[in-house]
Amino acid sequence: MEAGNNETKKELQAMGNEYLWDGSGEPDPEIQRLEALLGRFQYNRPRPAFPEIVLAKRWRFFLPHMQLFPALAAVAAVAAVGVVVFLMNGRKPNRPPGWDVSAVEGTPRVGRKAISGKEGSGRLGVGQTLETDLQARARLRADEIGQIEVEPGTRLRLLNMGSELKRIALDRGTIHTFIWAPPGQFVVDTPSAVAVDLGCAYTLQVDDTGAGLVRTSLGWVGFKLKGRESFIPAGAACVTRPRVGPGTPYFEDASSEYRSALMRFDFEDSTPEQRSKDLAIVLARARQRDALTLWHLLARVDEPQRATVYGHLEKLDPPPSGVTREGVLSLDQHMLDLWWNELGFDDISVWRYWERSWSGAAPQANGK
Amino acid sequence: MDKELPRMNSGSEHGFGLLAAGLEGQPVREQFAPDLFEDTTLVSAARDGDRAAFGRLYDRYARMVHGVLLAKVPLGEVDDLVQDVFVLALRRLSTLREVGSFGAWLAAIARNLAMDYHRRAAPEDQLTADLSENDTEHPMFNDEHEGAAAAILEAIRSLPEAYREPLILRLVEGMTGPEIATRTGLTPGSVRVNLHRGMQQLRERLGPSSNSSNPEQKRP
Repeated sequence: MEAGNNETKKELQAMGNEYLWDGSGEPDPEIQRLEALLGRFQYNRPRPAFPEIVLAKRWRFFLPHMQLFPALAAVAAVAAVGVVVFLMNGRKPNRPPGWDVSAVEGTPRVGRKAISGKEGSGRLGVGQTLETDLQARARLRADEIGQIEVEPGTRLRLLNMGSELKRIALDRGTIHTFIWAPPGQFVVDTPSAVAVDLGCAYTLQVDDTGAGLVRTSLGWVGFKLKGRESFIPAGAACVTRPRVGPGTPYFEDASSEYRSALMRFDFEDSTPEQRSKDLAIVLARARQRDALTLWHLLARVDEPQRATVYGHLEKLDPPPSGVTREGVLSLDQHMLDLWWNELGFDDISVWRYWERSWSGAAPQANGK
Repeated sequence: MDKELPRMNSGSEHGFGLLAAGLEGQPVREQFAPDLFEDTTLVSAARDGDRAAFGRLYDRYARMVHGVLLAKVPLGEVDDLVQDVFVLALRRLSTLREVGSFGAWLAAIARNLAMDYHRRAAPEDQLTADLSENDTEHPMFNDEHEGAAAAILEAIRSLPEAYREPLILRLVEGMTGPEIATRTGLTPGSVRVNLHRGMQQLRERLGPSSNSSNPEQKRP
């Protein structure tokens, strides 16, 4: 442990550029040069006119006229306030929680209600189902959560619209989500895994067998079934299968041989020899950014293979101080998390925090 | 299990001494506690209809929002998007449950608007190219220094996503690491690690002249 402490201290000392951190300490000439050059891009626009200012101008316009007719002015003032409040709230009072639904193409259905035409719109409430046939597309929008584009041949259900958790179930089809709710609040159940938004945009597909695919375009997504979890950053994808859960994530620009080997390794009932062969292909073809895949493999390979994966990952992206070979081989969660943070995708503590928050609510994904 | 704020894996239970190195979250949070308290007061007032309070929040957070956007969209689009972020935030302020999470919430809106911009503007596979082309050809870069500044900005934006935001907030917006953590809701440890690693990679990309003055050691 003492050796580990010393390594950590060395790393921290190397990181101890106080000038970079908070501008204190000995000035770093290179950083000063960058500050001087880049400072020209600094934001310096004045505060814009927010709605209150627009509102004040309107009142000044009306007031001189209203003084001529006090009674009429009072009535008009009450009406104007009502209109302004209505417009600013932008929603009807006591509206039940749900998503606004609009037809993009064809005739989507919420329950038995058809939504069609240019003015086609409706509401998806908790417990209701939205379906699109092969000619229909729909758009869901909730101001406090985000927007979902629904492709043809999709069936989804709204399970929950609580203050801390918004949950839908995607039974089949394809959705493109763009979420602005805080990380961890938007969850999608699929038949083979649960997708948790961690501040991102992603596409989620589920086929008729319940198998799924998530492709992240911004931020990252957590994919989980029971104890098996995958983190999918922007540019990466992850397949999930019923009764198995999420596979190992990979970057979509990886070679087809690499991806095929990974699929066989994750989901095929192969002999130990074949699994070793597939693992060898993945390791041999892994590029720098494929540290993503290798980090996940650490917890998915047999113990004898773990040392091999460790060796390859170590070459791609060495572990930070405080992370030891022994700790990783024994799957020390703290050390694995430290190493993940070192890979530069995002801070895993966000996931750990939200995982604790929502894991109490059992996912619907059950491998049916 | 009790809920707690997400924190860097400080390792303090192992006696690693991260507190002294500034990687422990608490001291930074304490340092900025008066700021955070004032923010929560302003957010509460704004939610109650006080637009002046929202204006003060704008003054405090505009640089952070600008930096987040600058990491993701062409320079010429950023200022307008900053306004959009605040207008959207104003409209949705009533849906913010945790007033103490205003910064993180605002940053998420900014990141999502940036993504929305790209979805509307160009096919996904052209995003990186578009960023570069739009900015280096921007008419404001009309002298040597400006060209150099644009090239450095591009170099930062070619780094992994996790490093772009903290570097831009530090080097462009002039925020300190603790301030970045406080304003974005990220853990101080995470910001410090990403600043450090991002700076290392930036020095490598900027070439030997940059590395010659590099006081940081590249990891073996």
